[in-house]
Amino acid sequence: MRRLEIRSKLWPFLALSAGAAALTAGAAQAAPLVKECGKNGQYVIGFSQANNAEPYRQHVNDELTAAAKKVPQFTLQIADGAGNVNTQTSQMDNFVTQKVDLILISPFEASPLTPAVARAMKAGIPVIELDRKTVGEPGKDYTAFIGGDNFKIAEEAGKYVAGKLLPDGGEVAVLEGLPSSTPAVERLNGFKAGVKDNPKIEVVAEQAADWLPDKAQTAFAAMLQAHPNIKAVYASNDMMAAGARLAAKGAGKVDQVKILGTDGLPGPAGGIRAVAEGEWAATFTYPTGGPEAIEMAKAILLDCAEQVPTVVTVPTTAITPDNAKQLMGN
Amino acid sequence: MNDAATALKSAPARPAPRRLDFFAVAVRFQSVIGLILVAIGGVIFSPRRHGSILFLAPDNIANIVRAISETGIIAVGMTFVIITAGIDLSVGALLSLSSVLTATIMTTWGWGLVPTLLFVLICGAAFGATQGVISTKFRLEPFIVTLAGLQTARGLALVISGNQYINISYGDGPGLAPPIFSVLGDRLFNNTVPVATLVFVVVAIVATFVLNLTRFGRYVFAVGGNERAARLSGMPVTLVKISVYAITGLVSAIAGVVHAGQFNFGSANDGTGYELTAIAAVVIGGTSLFGGSGSMIGTVAGAVMLGALANVLQLNNINAALQLLATGAIIVLAAVLQSLVRRREGLGR
Repeated sequence: MRRLEIRSKLWPFLALSAGAAALTAGAAQAAPLVKECGKNGQYVIGFSQANNAEPYRQHVNDELTAAAKKVPQFTLQIADGAGNVNTQTSQMDNFVTQKVDLILISPFEASPLTPAVARAMKAGIPVIELDRKTVGEPGKDYTAFIGGDNFKIAEEAGKYVAGKLLPDGGEVAVLEGLPSSTPAVERLNGFKAGVKDNPKIEVVAEQAADWLPDKAQTAFAAMLQAHPNIKAVYASNDMMAAGARLAAKGAGKVDQVKILGTDGLPGPAGGIRAVAEGEWAATFTYPTGGPEAIEMAKAILLDCAEQVPTVVTVPTTAITPDNAKQLMGN
Repeated sequence: MNDAATALKSAPARPAPRRLDFFAVAVRFQSVIGLILVAIGGVIFSPRRHGSILFLAPDNIANIVRAISETGIIAVGMTFVIITAGIDLSVGALLSLSSVLTATIMTTWGWGLVPTLLFVLICGAAFGATQGVISTKFRLEPFIVTLAGLQTARGLALVISGNQYINISYGDGPGLAPPIFSVLGDRLFNNTVPVATLVFVVVAIVATFVLNLTRFGRYVFAVGGNERAARLSGMPVTLVKISVYAITGLVSAIAGVVHAGQFNFGSANDGTGYELTAIAAVVIGGTSLFGGSGSMIGTVAGAVMLGALANVLQLNNINAALQLLATGAIIVLAAVLQSLVRRREGLGR
């Protein structure tokens, strides 16, 4: 089973030099991934989104739409699965009926959407999975997976605290997401691994706040009571960072406590604004993979790529006071 | 308005009750007409590829009838309840509970296929019947009782599943479900007819038979039309009412089993809002929320129509918001038509 793992900034160049790519994988299939391709065609890309109602997923839609608009040959269709596996399955089937040229999907749940992805692959339509995977092997059961790495993102946040924010050490707290969910565990462990760089930093409290701002506020207020010297708090998403900020404000400690978020969403309620206005110390983007997905679609549909990297991990961007204002302008 | 007044008022307004009223006929088959209109619209507005109409492609028809199979099965049961002037809000949650039960029993308890299915279906029917008993015994509005039932079923589903998705893997051995169960997600006859749809068809045929050709069916109409008169003429009104909730419970369990088989998992979060889709299909199908009248064919056509509408809008890449607006408008239209008929017949309200 071949399995190419390449960081996102590198792979378009690799994919373009088709000869190099063929070398790495033994060129099992020397034919392009799709029958109809080339720069002169017009292509419809269907995106099956898990649930438009989540702010992060809306952000994915926006980035994907913006990236697709830059390619005159592409028309992007977004279907909202509305958090319902039956709806999302029927939308995937409709894309197959429409014979769209390429499908992107963020499956609401892995195993229920697996048969729908298999039907699309069987119909000869490449399927790129964004952020969440279905069951199976990338490169075989679906064309490729593009997404962020929760552990690495939180690790970056931990390193930022250890190196830049608190070089002299101090007490640090963590607000965890919904305990049973994989991203919550990965982000918690990633952050704790990151702060280990600085032995003078001590994680004195970690509490689950289920991704919710109100729970984060209650939890962090209690943490500040128990540990009045907390110098920084890492919130596993932006919503909880907003809650932590309210708790710090309530305790009169906004200057003492540095707040870090995760997701880095744009907009008035998002983390970029909060960092730009000095409310938080930093937030770390959970990349949407949108631009990377459109790049891969270009390689497959316009450049007739014979193969593409099957797993693309998109790195996080640290949003700090240095770049927040500039990012907000975008 | 009480029954006596209704009777007085309606008597002179209906000189010839058996006369052919085209308007009433049109309303009775409003959903069939609606379905035909949506189909014609679908053909006209359907995108085309190489000259063929995508909307009419066999694959696409299969997609439509697969997508509505679960809500369709529920809507068929809901028709009985609504004809008795009742309502059942617990169906979506009960579907979810049934899918969780099915997945848990097959993967954790290690039961075989037949005992699992029997147990889940009996549980569903018992759940529904319990709601019926509480509603009739304590003279509570079914709205309240089944609202409580909705919460209870979801709560039970969360407890049983431990707030986690229960994946179903197939094979022979402990922790694996019998492979034959996955047939619910397949398509038969050269990969054309979804099995989930076949279940829907069977349920609809049985229900049509029960509603139109059995004494029980006549009782259902009578109880919904005039409960007091039905009671005075010696019908087992309470039993009929309990039975219709047992029926919605049973069909929700069937839909839950189909859900588990189609998607290879049980989830406490699924089936949200299915009760509303099912009620919409029933109302569009011409069944009156005041009870006493309704048709099973109407319900089936209503369910298919909602699916066809969603399909043609997506094929044209029209967003989900418009789909909701269109569905809302169609429900209002269906209700207005029914109200007009009642007025013409002098039934008021």
